Amino acid sequence: MIEDRADAGGLEPEVVEAVAAPKGPGRSRWGVVAVLLVGLLLLPLSRPFIDSYNYTVLLATNGLMWIALASSWNILGGYSGYISLGHAVFLGVGGYVAAVPLFYYGVSPFLTALAGGLAAVALGLVAGLITLRTRGPAFIISTIALLFMFLLIFENIDYLGGTAGLPLPVVPISRDWLKAPFFYAMLIAAVGSIVLSYQVAHSKFGLGLRAIAEDETKAEVAGVPTRFYKIIAFALSAFWVGVAGAMWGYSLAFVRPTLFFTVAISAQMVLMAIIGGRGTVAGPVIGAVLIVAVNEFSLTQFGSSEINILISGVLLVTVLLFFPLGIVGTLREKRLLPAFLDWD
Amino acid sequence: MAVTLEVSDLNKSFGGIHAVKDCSFGVEDGSITSLIGPNGAGKTTVFNLINHVIRPDSGTVRFEGRDVTGKMPHRLTRLGIGRTFQVTRTLGDMTVLENMVVGSSGTGVRSMFGSRMLDHEVERAMELLEFVGIAEYAYTNAEALSYGQRKLLEFSAVLMSGPQIVLLDEPAGGVNPSLLTRMVARIRELNANGLTFFIVEHNMDLVMDISDSVIVMAHGEVLLHGSPDDVQSDRRVLDAYLGKV
Ligand SMILES: Nc1ncnc2c1ncn2[C@@H]1O[C@H](COP(=O)(O)OP(=O)(O)O)[C@@H](O)[C@H]1O
Ligand SMILES: [Mg+2]
Repeated sequence: MIEDRADAGGLEPEVVEAVAAPKGPGRSRWGVVAVLLVGLLLLPLSRPFIDSYNYTVLLATNGLMWIALASSWNILGGYSGYISLGHAVFLGVGGYVAAVPLFYYGVSPFLTALAGGLAAVALGLVAGLITLRTRGPAFIISTIALLFMFLLIFENIDYLGGTAGLPLPVVPISRDWLKAPFFYAMLIAAVGSIVLSYQVAHSKFGLGLRAIAEDETKAEVAGVPTRFYKIIAFALSAFWVGVAGAMWGYSLAFVRPTLFFTVAISAQMVLMAIIGGRGTVAGPVIGAVLIVAVNEFSLTQFGSSEINILISGVLLVTVLLFFPLGIVGTLREKRLLPAFLDWD
Repeated sequence: MAVTLEVSDLNKSFGGIHAVKDCSFGVEDGSITSLIGPNGAGKTTVFNLINHVIRPDSGTVRFEGRDVTGKMPHRLTRLGIGRTFQVTRTLGDMTVLENMVVGSSGTGVRSMFGSRMLDHEVERAMELLEFVGIAEYAYTNAEALSYGQRKLLEFSAVLMSGPQIVLLDEPAGGVNPSLLTRMVARIRELNANGLTFFIVEHNMDLVMDISDSVIVMAHGEVLLHGSPDDVQSDRRVLDAYLGKV
């Protein structure tokens, strides 16, 4: 507690000598980010120098995708505090919006990925309009309902291949470089979602979302159009998930309802954002990298996916024990966060 | 004098409790009007109904001649009805300055995705924070402030939107005497410049001192509406506080 020091001056407001805004972190963080980015840009070209080239690029692509998903989820779930377990629908919608023109007309998903993202945004608006009438546990459940509704719908449309889904042709380029386009596409999605997240965090809109997370009634009375903000947050958080979905289905050479419309995928986004630091820009990125790395480790060590889940659970509990606000959130609170991770 | 805020036949029940019963009254433009009554009389609920934090069962709210019943709170804030809470609701995770500017978020692309804090907003916020004497905490998280300072923060934040009328729910509650003296001086100063105040307050000396007009509520109903002198000399008011109504 700060003492009521200002009292000393009685009724006359004390003359406040230039209260300076704290300076943001310097240029050092951009240096680290630039080096990382250049490294990533060059990675697909490393074919002649790395033995496990395909494996490395695939793993990196996967990591980038999860960075995009977790960062996007964070825009709604982190900043505004509305936990969605339905975000996998946007992955699916993006996946199918790209898969259908490819399957029926041979149109490349690299051309339709954007449409996948926009379709996800449109769905986000509608879903937000409906589900955001609720809050707390009711909201979480309504987003799960959304997911199951889409699973059911997509499994029953013959045009979309029903439960079997649609097989997709492989990218028509040399096998050696097959992984590269997906890597770059996911890199764009990851960077795009981080930029969007950063943009939101540093805008008045983001400030409004943070106010909603803390005290929605107070935010509304203060003048924040809370309902509108939440719906926009829902829609924006869908965009890069849709784009990633378009790429993901193509990279696997098939789409199928059970591939996308699962709570497990949504839960993974939540887990990453929470472990890394919900409501921070860098948190979901760190969380995604960490979880993808741990999953990969346990997959190569134990091969089984059940152990994976166990390890994820143990990781969550352990991290939250020592970092209650997530890694980035807690480090920042303790002023231990390296500058290159402090993007808030 | 013209009536700026007028409520007619407001009703609100919570389950079996008829918290607000056929409430009608007007707040005169440029006045300091107080709303008093024993605990549980329904004063906070009346505030919540006025700025639509709670939906009334029936009744209307008119502001500057317009029917504003059912408008969202943020719209009412834009229209010029400011309001603070009985138990302060500052946004603790945010800095004092962020608390000041958060309300000016619009719905246009420019105002949403432009800077978190525009220069003119910061300037205005710093002026107001200086006005209430907490400018030195501008970049401090609100949760670090004392309770009284948080009340001052809420009070100055409500002024950011340039309101026509300010509803204060127990501004003196839990505030130490020197901060209170400062807040009262600010209220008088703003009122002298034309700002209307509608205040729920338990501190009777304060109420009788600053009010032009006093409304007494008990059991959800308006008992009396008159000058401080009328109210002080009315037997029913004492009875209400002693629980005899
Ligand atoms: N949200 C609510 N839910 C249920 N009962 C409420 C609610 N708000 C107020 N009440 C009840 O309504 C009555 C009036 O409360 P309130 O308006 O807070 O009184 P005051 O501000 O005059 O002390 C009380 O009996 C209180 O318990
Ligand atoms: Mg009250």
